[in-house]
Amino acid sequence: MSEHKIEMVLNGHSHRGAAEGRRTLCDYLRQDAGCTGVHVGCEHGVCGACTVRVDGQAVRSCLMLAVQADGCTVTTVEGLAAADGTLHPVQQAMQDEFALQCGFCTPGVVITLATLTDVPEKPSEAALLAAMSGHICRCTGYQGIRRAIRRLAGEATGERA
Amino acid sequence: MNETTPIAAGRFIGQRMPRKEDPRLLTGRGTFVDDISFPGMLHVAFVRSPIARGKITGIDLSVARGMPGVHAVYTAADLAKIKVTPLSFFLTPSEVEVPLLATDHVAYAGDPVVLIVADDRYLAEDAASVVTVDYEEEDPVVSLADARNGALVHPGTESNVSAAMGLDEDEDGEALLAGAAHLINRTVIHQRISQSPMETRGIVVSKQGAGELLVHITCQSPHMIARYLTIALGMPEYSIRVLAKDVGGSFGLKNTPWREELAVIAAALLLGRPLKWIEDRLENLISANQAREQEMTMRVGFDGQGKLLAARGEYSSNNGAYPQGADANVAVHMFMWAAYKIPYYSFYTQGWYSNTVGLAAYRGPWALESLIREAMLDIAARQLGIDPVEIRRRNLVTLADQPTATTMGIPLEDITPAECLEKLLTVLDIDAFRREQAAARQEGRHLGLGIATYIEPTGSAGSMPVMTGELAQLRVEPTGKVTATMSTHSQGHGTQTTMAQVIADRLGVPYEDVTVFEGDSAHGGFGPGAAGSRQGVIGGGASLKAAGLLQQKVKTLAAHLLNANVEDVSLEGGVIHVAGSPEMTRSLRQIAEIAYGEPARLPPGFEAGLEAQYRYTPPPMTFTSAAHGCIVEVDIETGFVKILRWISSEDCGNVINPAVVEGQIAGGLAQAIGMVLLEEAGYDARGNPIAVTFKDYLLPAISDVPDFEYVHASTPSQSEGGFRGVGEGGAIIGPPTLFNAIADALSPFGEVPLTLPLTPTRLLEVIEGRSMTSVAHAPAPVAPVVTEVAPAPVAAPAPPAAPARVDGLWKMVMASPMGGQEMKGRLATEGTTLTGTLLSDQGNQDFAGSIEGNRLKWEMKVTKPVSLTLKYDLVVEGDSISGKVKMGMFGTAKLTGERLE
Amino acid sequence: MKPAPFDYVRPDTIEEACAVLAEAGGGAQVLAGGQTLMPLLALRMSQPFIMVDINRIAVLKGIVTGPEGTRIGPMTRQNEVIADAALARALPMLVTAARHVGHHQTRNRGTIGGSIALGEPAAEMPAAAVALGASVTLRSVRGSRTIKAEDMYLGPYATVLEPDELLTEISYPAWPVDSITIFREIAQRPGDFALVGLVGTVVVENGRIARAGLAWFGMGPTPIRARQAEAALLGQDIARLDGRGLAELAVADTAPFDDHHASAEYRRTVGRRIFARTLTEALNVRQAG
Repeated sequence: MSEHKIEMVLNGHSHRGAAEGRRTLCDYLRQDAGCTGVHVGCEHGVCGACTVRVDGQAVRSCLMLAVQADGCTVTTVEGLAAADGTLHPVQQAMQDEFALQCGFCTPGVVITLATLTDVPEKPSEAALLAAMSGHICRCTGYQGIRRAIRRLAGEATGERA
Repeated sequence: MNETTPIAAGRFIGQRMPRKEDPRLLTGRGTFVDDISFPGMLHVAFVRSPIARGKITGIDLSVARGMPGVHAVYTAADLAKIKVTPLSFFLTPSEVEVPLLATDHVAYAGDPVVLIVADDRYLAEDAASVVTVDYEEEDPVVSLADARNGALVHPGTESNVSAAMGLDEDEDGEALLAGAAHLINRTVIHQRISQSPMETRGIVVSKQGAGELLVHITCQSPHMIARYLTIALGMPEYSIRVLAKDVGGSFGLKNTPWREELAVIAAALLLGRPLKWIEDRLENLISANQAREQEMTMRVGFDGQGKLLAARGEYSSNNGAYPQGADANVAVHMFMWAAYKIPYYSFYTQGWYSNTVGLAAYRGPWALESLIREAMLDIAARQLGIDPVEIRRRNLVTLADQPTATTMGIPLEDITPAECLEKLLTVLDIDAFRREQAAARQEGRHLGLGIATYIEPTGSAGSMPVMTGELAQLRVEPTGKVTATMSTHSQGHGTQTTMAQVIADRLGVPYEDVTVFEGDSAHGGFGPGAAGSRQGVIGGGASLKAAGLLQQKVKTLAAHLLNANVEDVSLEGGVIHVAGSPEMTRSLRQIAEIAYGEPARLPPGFEAGLEAQYRYTPPPMTFTSAAHGCIVEVDIETGFVKILRWISSEDCGNVINPAVVEGQIAGGLAQAIGMVLLEEAGYDARGNPIAVTFKDYLLPAISDVPDFEYVHASTPSQSEGGFRGVGEGGAIIGPPTLFNAIADALSPFGEVPLTLPLTPTRLLEVIEGRSMTSVAHAPAPVAPVVTEVAPAPVAAPAPPAAPARVDGLWKMVMASPMGGQEMKGRLATEGTTLTGTLLSDQGNQDFAGSIEGNRLKWEMKVTKPVSLTLKYDLVVEGDSISGKVKMGMFGTAKLTGERLE
Repeated sequence: MKPAPFDYVRPDTIEEACAVLAEAGGGAQVLAGGQTLMPLLALRMSQPFIMVDINRIAVLKGIVTGPEGTRIGPMTRQNEVIADAALARALPMLVTAARHVGHHQTRNRGTIGGSIALGEPAAEMPAAAVALGASVTLRSVRGSRTIKAEDMYLGPYATVLEPDELLTEISYPAWPVDSITIFREIAQRPGDFALVGLVGTVVVENGRIARAGLAWFGMGPTPIRARQAEAALLGQDIARLDGRGLAELAVADTAPFDDHHASAEYRRTVGRRIFARTLTEALNVRQAG
C-alpha cells in the first residue's frame, strides 16, 4: 500500500494532500478536499453523477485514482458559479427549465454541459444530447435537461403545447 | 373542514415559480446523508451471503478482527444484545421474524451476515473480504413456481404464502363469465424492479450521551422514521431525532429503514461511536428491497356491444424472504375497475415468500391493475372489432354518472377519466394517425398508437393509522419574513417550492419572503411523507388553512393598531392596506415588530407574535384521473422501439406549479418506459441476481425518453384548495399506454405477450413468429392456468334438508387484508331471525341477521381499519362453520371456524 | 465497492514499466484509461498488488498516418482518435467506431490501447482492429513481438498478452482513402456494449469489391473476423450484390451467446439482417456519392 502526495488546482485554489494509491478521485474530492458536491451514484462509471472537470475535460471521478489527478486542474460543481454567487449559464438554464428534482445527478450533468459549452463555439444540440447520454437521471425524465440543452445550444426550447 | 375553496390561478398558485431547492442543489451545496460526518465517526461494511439459501455452519472472524483500523466485527449474536423489531410501513411487526443479520441460515444472495466497523470504508471492505463463512448450501426457492412447489422459505410457517385474500373459487363470477358473449383471458408477468434512486440508502447514527439518538438517514419522512424507530427500538429512555435535508430520490424504497440501517443503529448503540453506512450500488442492486415481480391472470366478460359484464383476477407476487410488507397487494383489486362500469369483479390474491431479496414499495405499488386492464381492453377491442377509444367510451364512468360507487364500494364523486380521454383526442388526431400508420406499413415501417385511461387514489388520510393529515406551522417573523415548518418532505418533489407558493398566495406576501423548512423530526409534526401522492393535496391544504389563520391574525392586529375595520384591511405583497386610506399603509415588518415586541399595544386577549398552525385532514381519498396517448415505431429488423410522441391528458385538480406537476408526470413516465422496455432485476435458477451493476440494470437514458406533451384538465377536488395528487400517476398509466402502442404496431404480426420487459428478443419473437429463446433467455414463466369455465364444485352454500344446530359459541378465522383475524361469535336463532355477538380484541359487537336452513347472513359496520360494512354469508355443517365475508372495497374474505360450545 | 490495496507506480518510460511488470511476476496490472479496469477494481474482481499507471509515458501517445499505414500509440484517448482529422481521412471506419465507445466522459480518459488490450468481446475497438487487419506490438524485458490483432483474443477478457507484456503500438495497414465504412451497432442505449455489432471496410475498384475487412463484436467470446463473408465478397459486382444471400455466410463464423439482454438466436437473426442492410446501404451511398 503506497501513499502519494497530491497537488492540484482545485476550483481555482491550490490544494495539497495525500492519498493511498487505491483511493478514487471521487472519494478524495468528497472526503479529503471537502467537495461534497461530487456525488457518488454507482462507483462503476455508468451513472455520471461524479463527473468533474480535469484539465478541461469532463471525466468520471470514480474511474480515476486520486493520485492520477496530481498536477492537474480540477473543477467540481462548487467551482462553477461566480464569486458573487451568479450562477453559471448552465446552472441558470437548468433552474429556468426545471431540469432537476432530487438534485443528486445534477452536479455531474452541470459539469458535462458547462465543460462543453465553456468554449467560444457553441456545440450543437446533438453533441450535447450525445454527451448527456453519459448521465442517468431517475427523477425528471430528462425533459428540463433537454430544454436546457436546447437553450445552451442556442436554439429554441422546442417546448410543445 | 372539508369545504372546497376554489382557487383560480393565483398570484403564485398555478405559476411556474422557480424552485427554492435549486440554487443549493445546482452548486453542490445540498446536504445528503453522505455529506454528514461526526468527529470520531467510523464506517460500516457488510459481509453478505453469496448463496441464496443455506445453513451457516461456521464463521471465522479472527483475521478480520486483527486487521488494522478495524474496531468491531459483529454477528447476529452480537447485535442481539440490542432488541430491534423491524416493522412494516404500517408499523406492524412482520409475520416472520426479520433478523438484522442472518442467524443460522441465509435466505437470499446478499443477505447480510457480518457487520464490520472500521476507520474508513476501504478498511471495512478489506476486513469484510477476509471473513470466512461456511455454508451448507440448499436448493433455493427463487421463482413464484418454486414458491408454490418448493420447500418452505421460513421453517415453521404453514406454507410459502405470506398473505392471501379473496375467493380462491367463485361460482357466482364463473356463472357470469360463462354467460358473456366475449370472454378474454390473459396473463401478465411483470418483472422485478429496482427502484434505483440515484442516491442509495445510507445512515449516519450518533448516540449522544446516554439519552439521545441522532439519526441522519436518507428517507421519505424524518417524522415517519422517528416514529418507526421509537417503536422498533422500544427504548423509551432515548429521545430520537431524525434528519434528512436533501434526499436523492426514493420512489418507495426509503419508506422505512430495513435490516441494514437497523443493524447500523444497533451497532452504534453497542459501540458508542458515530457510525456511517452508505450503501454502494452493488449492495443496492442485490440487497435493497425491490418491487413488482407479479403474475396475474384476468378473465373479462363482455356483452355483444363491448360492455363489461364481469371480471375475475388472480394475482401472485414474489415478495422475497423479508419483504417490508408481506402483503397480497389488495390495492391492485380495489382499483382494478374503479374507473369503469362493471357489474361484478372478484379476485384471489396471494403474496409468496422466496429466497430473494424482499419487496418494498415502488411508485404506484398497485399499478399492475392499469397494465392488465388497459392492455386487455385493447385486446378485446381488436377481438370485437371496436376502436380502442370506443370501448373505453362505452365503459368509463363519466361525470354524468356520478356520484356513484365502484363495484368494490369506493365512492366516486368527481373522477374524469372519460373527460380526460375526450381532451386527449382534441390534440391527438386518431384518424390522421391511422392514415399515417397505413401509409407507413406500405413502406415497411410499423407505427403503433396506444391509449390508456385510469384513476388513481391520492392524498389518502384517515383510513390507516400512519396515513395522517399534514401540519403547517407558519409565522411572520419580526423581520416581516415568513417561515413555515412543515410535516412534508421532499425527495425531489419540490415541496419547499410548492408549499411556499401556496403560503405566499394565501397569506399575501412575496414568494421570495417565504422560507419552508422540513426534513427534521424536531420541527413540524408527524406526516408519513411522500407515500401515495399525498403531499401536494394535504400539505397544500394545511398551508392554505394555516396561511388563512395567520392572515386573519395580521388583519386583526393591523385593524386594531390602525383603528380600522378588519374588513377594510388587506394584505397584499407583504404590505398592509386599509381600503380608502392609503396613508395607513404599513409594511408587514412594522406590524410584526409590534406583535412580538410591544405587548401593551396588542388588542385585549391577542396572543403575542404572529404565528398560526393547522393540521389538515382531507377527505379519505382524492382521485386523480388521466388519459394518455403514445405513438411508437417498432423496427421490425431489430425489435427496437422508438417512442415518437406521448401526450398526457391529466386532471390533478388545481395545479400549484405546472412545472412541478409536469416534472412528476414525466419522471413517472420515464420509469414506465424503463419498466416496459429496459429494466429487470431478476434471478437465475440458483437465486443469483442477474443485474448487479448499472451495466446490466438498464435505466432509461435521455435518448429513451421523448418530449412529453401535457393537457391539464384541472377539475377542483373536494379537498382544501382543490388539489389532487400527481406523484405516482406516470408510473401507473405509462406502462399500459406504451404496451398498447407496441401491441398496435405489431398487430399485423401477432399478439405481443404481456411479459415485461419487452426486450428486443421478445419483440422479435412476435415479429418472426418463432421462439428466439434458448438456454439463458428462458421462456416466460408459465402463470397458473385458470380453466375457462370452472367445474363449480359445490362448496356453495345450499340449504340442506335438516336444519342445523346454530346456537352456541363459535371460534372463527377470517382471512383479512391484515392477515388472519381470529374471533369468537355467540349465535342464537329464533325462527328465521339470527342474533349474535362477535368477540374480538377490538371489543364486542352485536349483530342481527337471518337464517334459512343452515345458511346464516348478517351485516355489521366496522370503523377499523376503515369504515366498511361486512356482509357475512356462512353455512353451518355439524360443528363447523364456513363461508365468505364481503368487505366492501377490500373484496371478499374466506371464513372458517368450529364450535366451541 | 472500494479497490483492494495495491502499490501504485507511475513509470515515465516503457522500459521502466516493463521492468516493473517483469519484477511483479504476474501480480501487476497496467492502468491505461481505467474506464473498464476501475469498475473491476471497485468490485474487487481485479486485485493486483502493483498498479502500473502508464498515463505519463509520453511515447505511448499519438497518431501517425502515412502511406505505409497508421500507427497509434495505445495511450491515445478515444476522443483524440475521434478528433484527429488525418485519421478521419486515412481510416474513417476507425473514427466512426470510436464514436460508439462508451460515453463522451469515458472517452476523455479511455484509450484505444486499453480497449484493445482488455478484449471485451462486445467492444468496438478490438473488432475494428481485427477488421482493419491491424497488428499490435507487445514489449517486455524479454523483447518485443508483433502479432495480428485477430490472433490476440482467446476469450472474454482473455488475450495472448503475457503478464509482463505491455502493448506499445497499434499499427493499421493503409487502406485507400475512398474505402467504404461498414458500421452498425445494435445496443439498447448509447454507450452500452453491443448486442450485435458489425464493423468493416470495403474497397471498390471498377464496380467490384477488391478488398474487404469485416468483423463482428458481441457475437461470440471474442471479436470475430467474418472470413467467409470477406472471401465471398471479393470480386463481387456491387451493382448485383446479394446482401441477403451473403448474410448466412457472414454469421457462419460467429458463436453468439445468451444473456439476459438478448438471446443467441436474436443475435444471429439480427446479425444477418444488419449485415445485408448495412452492406447494401453503404454501397448505395457510395454509388450515389
